[in-house]
Amino acid sequence: MALKHVLVVLGLAVVLSAAVFVAGAASKTAKSGDDPNNATLTYWYWAESDAPGANNWLKGQVALYEKAHPKVKVNVVLQSTDTLTSAFTTAAQTKSGPDIATQWATLPTLTPAWAGATVPISDYVPKSEWKNWISTAENMWEGKLWAMPQYLIGIPFVWNKQLFKKAGLNPNKGPKTWAEFLADCKKLKAAGITPFGMGNHGYGGAWFFSLIGKQNLNSINELKDAMIGKQDFANPKFSGFYQALADLKKNGYLNSDVASISFGQGFQLFGQKKAAMSWGTDGNVAQWESQVGAKNMGVEAIPIWGHGKLASSYDVTQSSDAFITKWSKHPQAAAQFLTFLHSPEALKAWYKATGVFPADKRFPSSLVKDPIAKQLLKLDQSPVSVWPENFVPPQVDQNADLAGGEMITAGSGSPSDVVKLWKTQLSQWKSQHPDEYNSYKKWATGS
Amino acid sequence: MRTTARHGIVRVLSQHAFLIIICLAALYPLWFIVSTALRSNAAYQLDPTGFPSHPTFASLRNMLFHQPLPRWMWNSFLVTVSSVAVSTFIALLAAYAAVFGRFRGHSIFISTSVALMVVPPVTLLVPMFVFMVNSGMVNHLQSVIIFYTGLLVPFAIFFMAGFFRTIPNELIEAASSEGAGPFTIFRRIVLPLSGAASFTLIVVQAIWVWNELLIALVFLQSESSRTLMAGLTQFQGRFTTDEPLVLAGALLSILPVVVLYLSGQRFFVRGLTAGIGK
Amino acid sequence: MAFAFGFPLVQVVRDSFYAGNFASPIWVGLDNYKGVLSDPAFRQSLFDNMKLLLTVPIMLGIGLAIALVLNDRIRGGRHYQSVVFLPYVLPATAIGIAFSFLLQENGVLNTSLRHAHLGGLAQDWLGNSHLAIVSVGGLVIWQQLGFAVVVFTAALLSLPPETAEAARIDGAGWWQLQLRVLVPQIRPIIELLAVIQVITVISWVFNYVYVLTAGGPGFSSSVMELYIWRSFSNGSDGTAASVAVMLLGMASVLIGLSLWVRKQKIVQ
Repeated sequence: MALKHVLVVLGLAVVLSAAVFVAGAASKTAKSGDDPNNATLTYWYWAESDAPGANNWLKGQVALYEKAHPKVKVNVVLQSTDTLTSAFTTAAQTKSGPDIATQWATLPTLTPAWAGATVPISDYVPKSEWKNWISTAENMWEGKLWAMPQYLIGIPFVWNKQLFKKAGLNPNKGPKTWAEFLADCKKLKAAGITPFGMGNHGYGGAWFFSLIGKQNLNSINELKDAMIGKQDFANPKFSGFYQALADLKKNGYLNSDVASISFGQGFQLFGQKKAAMSWGTDGNVAQWESQVGAKNMGVEAIPIWGHGKLASSYDVTQSSDAFITKWSKHPQAAAQFLTFLHSPEALKAWYKATGVFPADKRFPSSLVKDPIAKQLLKLDQSPVSVWPENFVPPQVDQNADLAGGEMITAGSGSPSDVVKLWKTQLSQWKSQHPDEYNSYKKWATGS
Repeated sequence: MRTTARHGIVRVLSQHAFLIIICLAALYPLWFIVSTALRSNAAYQLDPTGFPSHPTFASLRNMLFHQPLPRWMWNSFLVTVSSVAVSTFIALLAAYAAVFGRFRGHSIFISTSVALMVVPPVTLLVPMFVFMVNSGMVNHLQSVIIFYTGLLVPFAIFFMAGFFRTIPNELIEAASSEGAGPFTIFRRIVLPLSGAASFTLIVVQAIWVWNELLIALVFLQSESSRTLMAGLTQFQGRFTTDEPLVLAGALLSILPVVVLYLSGQRFFVRGLTAGIGK
Repeated sequence: MAFAFGFPLVQVVRDSFYAGNFASPIWVGLDNYKGVLSDPAFRQSLFDNMKLLLTVPIMLGIGLAIALVLNDRIRGGRHYQSVVFLPYVLPATAIGIAFSFLLQENGVLNTSLRHAHLGGLAQDWLGNSHLAIVSVGGLVIWQQLGFAVVVFTAALLSLPPETAEAARIDGAGWWQLQLRVLVPQIRPIIELLAVIQVITVISWVFNYVYVLTAGGPGFSSSVMELYIWRSFSNGSDGTAASVAVMLLGMASVLIGLSLWVRKQKIVQ
């Protein structure tokens, strides 16, 4: 290799890197005013996992909006479930990043709000508009609304009627109690069918916490107390459910690869008829319906395992929400775009694309015609609904809720190990983020 | 005394068998990437181990035209070229000064380089991040270019110095006795000799920067500045159920490296071990 | 260099004494260190780095075997060497992603094993918490092997042929030749490579772990780099800094130890 060539390449490279430097420095955007009709917005979006079809819907809406507002450009950056929270926390540290971001409701949304990384959406959207949004209570703090709900999901329990029949079970009777559920599992397993399907390489165990774990509590305030240490998480009313999960694994009632397939892959099992029972969001159910067939699917509330008042509560939540970041230079433009997503046409298009109900009182339920969807809607209108994961600080959720669930399905820890993990993580959260802890305490004990 | 002929053949055959097994193990994952990237998702789900009987470019096309992949590749390319160029440049000068210069403490300089090679970049991550945020360079390519250059320099100096030491002193002395100044010696004698070594160094550094993940994940979080490797992990999370698509991205990220490797193999292997051998 | 190393090194030590986010740090003295040491996730991470150390002798052993075979002037040796070295230059991220699919419970490896009636060997490579770190180790070996082979081959090539010839004339069998004559001659290189690989396994394995298991299930395959990364992404910069300082300490101690041992050997 002639030295001359090396030198020439090196020289070019130095020139090129100098150009990059200069270009980078010059790319600091000029400060323009916050004109709602003239802006470039970056939107970190997540919803597809809850509602398959969401990504395409948003793409369509963005195209429509840009057409109507030629000087506005919306860049959608899709987020992955595993890094949804950590990606935003890291970005928040750079005090730069998206204009609009998605997080899960309540704690994951309020935590950055407490840290001053977001602005209340109620500052930019009139009350006459947002009073039509459903479930706004999940994101209220100091009298302001901090994020916009997009949809509502419940998580029903489903079973495959054909597989039930094959195992000698009544296809029209889904298990209503945990005892019935275990009996059904036994028969299915005996017939060589995977009783319950889920993917826990990463996320699934958290649903166990939220769907089963809450059932020994009488009110969600008890969980809040456990988070700030006023009650002890080791109390079986909080953590007893891990034994139930461990037993499922031990008895072979879960799919054999539960610990190594991802959350998303786990959802495929029921649709591919590889598992007889599962649970999923309304959106997952809509997708399964197209794969398994409405006549072949049973839908109901989660089997009752616990004895608290929350045992019969359902689990509808807005799940994820959209909020405006503090460093955004175009909050008004962002708010206008977000409000557009609640326009009647947008809502109708959403329902058509995903089968998931929009979080808007103005959405006409007459549009819900599919029989399964009607069942879901009825469940979603249950009088009491709570999604416990919303009340867990994100760091603790990641390191204790998710990690603990993984430990159980991988067989690497016993329920008491997981309890210890929770307690360690709770105390770590308190010592590493004293300001967050104090904000939570104020919010939980009523401010 | 030679062993019997039969013994010899058995030995040779078993040696070949051993090597072939190793090679198959080395190549299979690559084959898996290529073959899966060319299959449709449905075919893959049905049978993960199958041969691509109906190869399709759909995933590759998706990656190239509908995903941010080309942008990320371009970012990786810019970062690689810039940091490697600057680092090599600095290393050439610094190693020259250290080996042939007559200033005090030049051996300490080299030892410091060696010591710094050992520092795990992750330990410097947090302070550098804070610095980049405060100076506004975060999410701009400059931040990683600076950081990478700083990380590459110790090894580069060590490597170049090792090579320079093999240049016979007589050459240098002959030139300086004819009145050539240090710069002239550098340009006329040292540089031309170090063509192969420089090339090796450049390739090694380029591969390192191209493959780097942790720092790129932390410093370049915006979509427009993300590098290829960080982007790949995003795909891994985003498309957990579309393996062919993700592996199409992996394949595209590997291609430049493979091409570089195949073209410069001989130099690369020889030069790398020459540097280490010192 | 002073900028890239000196300033951050000082800063990271300072950071390790604070909690809260870096916008509003709160002095906590040694609490970060105490917290970290009592965190089972950290202990597991440390332990996993130690477990990965076991890959070094395996990799050196196999690499040595390959190099010795290649050294026998076997036909096509150059081609074998190119193929064996290829994994080393491939991006760890891309390879890790491929492996994360291959090693799933119903992925390629297990399916092939079952087809070959070796189903008993099929394990949950990524989901079994005891095996997760083994899978990471396997990936590390797969990729680092080529490097060892190349270095050893070069070292063997540089040996004076007379010693080997003399041994052969003296009637040494093939095995004796390899083990008693050739290997001891390249001992210094083997040791050097061992040191390099130990450093690699302690502080350069983030890519592999992040992409293959993300430290899971739970924390069973977490390593220190990943722990630092996790703390950082949760905004716990002080914790991240304290672990970073500890990692630095460990790396320095290991290097110091190996240099000292080297010196002792030379003295002998």
